[in-house]
Amino acid sequence: MPSTSLALTPGLGSFLICLKTNPIDTSIETLISLLKRRQIRHSRSCATATAYLLRGVISACRTADPAKLIERVQSVGRRLMAAQPREMVVGNIVRRVLGLIRDEAEDDHDAEFALGDIGAESQPQTPRANDDASVPLDRDSLGLRPDDRAPRPPLTSMFSLLSFPEPENSFSSTSGSSTPGGQPAPVKDVRAEVLEGIGEIIDELGQVDDQIAAYALDHIHSNEIILTHTSSTTVQKFLLKAATKRKFTVIHAESYPNNHEDTHATVSGRAVREDDSLSVEAFQKPLIEHGITVILIPDSAVFAIMSRVNKVILGTHSVLANGGLVAAAGTRIIARAAKVHQTPVVVVSGVYKLSPVYPFDFDSLIEYGDPSKVLPYEDGALIEQIDVQNPIYDYVPAELVDLYITNLGGHAPSYLYRIVSDHYRKEDISF
Amino acid sequence: MNRKLGLGRRVSRLWHHFFFHKMSESSNPAPIAQLSTPLSSASGQSQPATEVAPQTLPIRDSKPAQPTGDAPAPTDGAADKPLTPAELKKKAKAEKAARRAREKLEKDGGVPNNVTITPGAGGQPRLPTTPKKDSGAAAGSPQKGPRVPHARRGSGPGAVAQTGSVLVEQKKKRDDKKVAIFGHLYGQQRRSTVAGVTKEVHPAILALGMQLIDYTVCGSSARCVATLVAFKRVIESYTTPLGTSLARHLTTHLSHQITYLSTCRPLSITQGNAIRALKLSIASVDPSTPESIAKTNLCSFIDSFVREKITIADRVIADSAAQKVQDGDVIATYGGSNIVKETLLLAHRQGKRFRVSIIDSRPLFEGLSLARDLAAAGLDVQYSLVHAITHAIKDATKVFLGAHAMTSNGGLYSRVGTALVAMSAKERASGVEIPVIVCCETLKFTDRVALDSIVVNEIADADELLPAGVPPAYVVCDPADNYVPPPPEGKKGATRPPPPELPVSCKPPASPLANWRNTPNLQLLNIMYDVTPAEYVDMVITEMGSLPPSAVPIVHRMVTNL
Repeated sequence: MPSTSLALTPGLGSFLICLKTNPIDTSIETLISLLKRRQIRHSRSCATATAYLLRGVISACRTADPAKLIERVQSVGRRLMAAQPREMVVGNIVRRVLGLIRDEAEDDHDAEFALGDIGAESQPQTPRANDDASVPLDRDSLGLRPDDRAPRPPLTSMFSLLSFPEPENSFSSTSGSSTPGGQPAPVKDVRAEVLEGIGEIIDELGQVDDQIAAYALDHIHSNEIILTHTSSTTVQKFLLKAATKRKFTVIHAESYPNNHEDTHATVSGRAVREDDSLSVEAFQKPLIEHGITVILIPDSAVFAIMSRVNKVILGTHSVLANGGLVAAAGTRIIARAAKVHQTPVVVVSGVYKLSPVYPFDFDSLIEYGDPSKVLPYEDGALIEQIDVQNPIYDYVPAELVDLYITNLGGHAPSYLYRIVSDHYRKEDISF
Repeated sequence: MNRKLGLGRRVSRLWHHFFFHKMSESSNPAPIAQLSTPLSSASGQSQPATEVAPQTLPIRDSKPAQPTGDAPAPTDGAADKPLTPAELKKKAKAEKAARRAREKLEKDGGVPNNVTITPGAGGQPRLPTTPKKDSGAAAGSPQKGPRVPHARRGSGPGAVAQTGSVLVEQKKKRDDKKVAIFGHLYGQQRRSTVAGVTKEVHPAILALGMQLIDYTVCGSSARCVATLVAFKRVIESYTTPLGTSLARHLTTHLSHQITYLSTCRPLSITQGNAIRALKLSIASVDPSTPESIAKTNLCSFIDSFVREKITIADRVIADSAAQKVQDGDVIATYGGSNIVKETLLLAHRQGKRFRVSIIDSRPLFEGLSLARDLAAAGLDVQYSLVHAITHAIKDATKVFLGAHAMTSNGGLYSRVGTALVAMSAKERASGVEIPVIVCCETLKFTDRVALDSIVVNEIADADELLPAGVPPAYVVCDPADNYVPPPPEGKKGATRPPPPELPVSCKPPASPLANWRNTPNLQLLNIMYDVTPAEYVDMVITEMGSLPPSAVPIVHRMVTNL
C-alpha cells in the first residue's frame, strides 16, 4: 500500500506523504504498520503522525454528528493503540482529539439549547465545503513553521469569539456566527472546530521544544555542570537556548547500545535525522559551536562524575500521571545516582507526552529491543548459550525526579495529575 | 458554561500566544550576538577573554587565569570596568606586552614591517598577522609562558616565532581535550611503542609493558602476577656490576623497569604492594650472601609471594564465597572479575543451581569473556549492558563484585560502573536490599582513602571510546606526531598544522566522533575506575575471612606489619 512513498525510508515523512495522496483507510493501515514495525519511533513523530491522521479521519468523515465522530475516532484510536501500546503519546493525542470533539459538542449543545433548537437539521450545510477547502490546505502549507503563525492567533475561534468581532468577516461561517444568534447560529460546524483544534495540537507539537526551551534561562546558571543522556532534541534545544546567554559545561552520557550513534552525532554536531526533517531547526548549531564544552562519557562513568554535576537534565519517552516517567534505558540509574549525590533531576517534556495512565505493572511499560546491539550476532556460539537483554526503556519513579519542565512551565512531579485533568477528559482516559 | 468547558484549549492557546511573542523577541538577539563576536574580538574588548576561556571547566576556571601575570597576556588581567586606575594599569600592561613583542621580533630578526604594534584605545595590542594564536597564547595555561623562549633557543632564527606558537597551539589543543576536573590525572602521555626506552629495561618487561597497554594483561591480580613473573626473569638474568652490592644496585635496576611499566599504564595498587614487598626483601639481602644464592632466594620469595597472596588466596576466597551461593540464587556481577568467575565455577561444580546475570560496559567489555567461560561451563547466564542495570538486577538475590583495590575508608575501588551496580542493588524499587559481596585479596588493600572517584582514578585513552569497528589506527592522529619535529616550514604554513586532518578524512567508516580531536569544545572522557561508597558494600570476602568494609585499614595494617 505505501508504495507511493517512493525512495523515502518508512517513517514520519513517508507517512505524511501517504496521507496526502492515499485514501484515509490506507493511511490508517500505513500508520498501524509503521507503529507495529517500529519504523516510527520518537514520541513526537508518533504524536504528529497521529494528529495528522486524525485530522484526515475527521475531515473524511461525512457527518457532523459528534457522537459519530467520537465513535470513529475511538475506533481508529483503539487500533492505533493496539498496534503499539507502549507508544503512549498515540493514546494521548487520540484522547485530546476526543476531548476536543466532546468540548465542541457540548458547546454546540448549549448553544442549541439556548437558542431553542432552531434549524438543527441545517447543520451539515455549506460551511463544510468551505472548510474542507480552506482549513486543511492552509494547515498543510503552514506546516509546523512557527514563523508563519503570525496571523493565526487572532483567528482562533474561541478567542475571537470573546474579544474581536472582526475575524468573523473573513472566516465567517466557521466560528463566530453562533454568538450573534439569529438565523445561521446552529450551523456552527463541530467538525470545523475540531479540525481547527487538531491544527492547534499539531502546531503545539511543532513548537513544544521551543516553548520548553524558553524556560532554559530560568534553570541554568553560569558555570554549571549539567549531565544529560540520549540525543533528545528537547534537551538539546533547552541547552542551546541557555547557551546563547550563559556559559556552562555539558556532560553527555552516551546511552550506549540503543542511542549512542545519535548521541555521538548530536555531541559532535553532525546530527542528521530523517525523522525530524519536519522541524525547521534541523540545521542548528550544536552546543560546541556556542562555546559550550561538551564531555562525552560512557554510561558507566555516571556515578563517578556525579559528584561534580550541578544538575541532571533528562529527556523522556512519556510521562505518567503519577509523576513517574518512561525514558530511555539507563535513565533510572542516572536519576538514582543523582539522588544519591543530592543533585537535582530536571525532566523536560512536552505536555503531549503526559499520559493519563497510572502504572501498576511497571514491566508492561518496558519495551525490549534488538539484542544484537548488545552482543552482535557474529558471536553466534556465545549467543546460543547466553541470554542477552536489551531493554529500551526504564521506568523512573516520581521520587527520583525533582522538577518537570513542560511547555506550560515547571511543575513538581506531584502536580502532574492536575495537568492531566486539564488536558484529558475523564470519560476518555480509558476509551 | 461554554467558556468553562473550552478551558483546556483556551489555556493552550494562551500559551501559544505568549510563546510566540516571547520567542520572536528572544530569538532576535542571538544571531546578532554571534555576528558580533568576531567584530568585538577585533576591536579587542574584554569579550575575547570569555570567548576563549570556556575550554576549561568552571571549577578550575579561575586557576589558570591568574598565574599568567607575567606572560604576555594583556587580556585577562585587565579590569572589566573602564575605571581610571584600572585603565592605567591596563595601558601599562599593554605597553609592556607590546615592548616585549617588539623585542622578541627584533631578536628573531623576523619581518617587523608586517607587525604594527599600537597600544590602541582599548589598550589591547594584537598582532594582526596571527590574531588567533595570540589570543590562544593569552588565554592558555601558565606552563606555556616559558615554553616559547625555550623553543626559540633551540632552532634557527627565521621560523622560530612560528614554531613556538605552533607548539603552543598544539599543546593548547591537547589541553582542550583534557577534561578539566580530571586534569590532575592526565599526567604524562601513555606510551604506545617501545621506542626510546632505556637499555636497562629487560625484554620481558618490554613485552609486559606492551601487554599492559593493549589490556592483554588486565585486572589487578593478573597485572601483579605478570609483573612479578617478569621481575623474576629480570632477577635471573641480572648480574651485579663491579663495585656495588646486589642489595643496592638491584633496587635501582628494578626501578628502571618499574618506571617503564608505569609509563605503559599507571601501576595498580597490587603492583605497588608487590613491588614494595619485593624491594623490602631485596634490601634485606645480606651483602655477604653470594649473588647466585641471593638471586635464587629472591626468586623463591617471588614464587611464594604469588602463591601465598594470590593463588592460594584466590582459592580460599572462592571457597568461602561459593558457600554464599545457594540453590535458586540469581547472582548479579559486573565486569569480568577473575575471582568471581572462580567462585561461580566452584559453586557450579558443587552442584548448586543458580543463575548469573552479568552486567558489562563499554569500552572493555570484560564481562564478555566471563560470560563465555561461565556459559562454556554450563551455567545459566544472562548478559546485559550497563544501561540495563535496573532490569538485570531486578530479580537478583546477591551481587558479587571484584575489586581493583579497597581503600582504607572502606570504599571499593573497581572498574567504572561498579558503583552503579552496587547502588542499584541497595535501592531497588521493591525496597528489598540485595547483599553486595566483594571478593578481594588482602593484597588489594591500600592505606589510601578516597571520597569520590575524581581525586584518585586512571584516565585511559579516550579513543577507546570510539565505536568499535573503526580500527583505532585510522582514527588516532597521534599527538606525538604533532610535537616531535617542528619542521622549519614556511611562515604561512606554520599557522595551522594540516597533517592531523588528513588521515582522519580518508577514513572509510564515518563515525561522527572520529574527528573529535579536531572538534573544538568536544571532549571524551574515559575513566577506568570508580569508588563505591562503603555503605553499599555488605561484606568483603578475603583470604583472611569475611569482613565488613570498615575492617580494611585494620587488616591492611596486620598484613603489612607481618
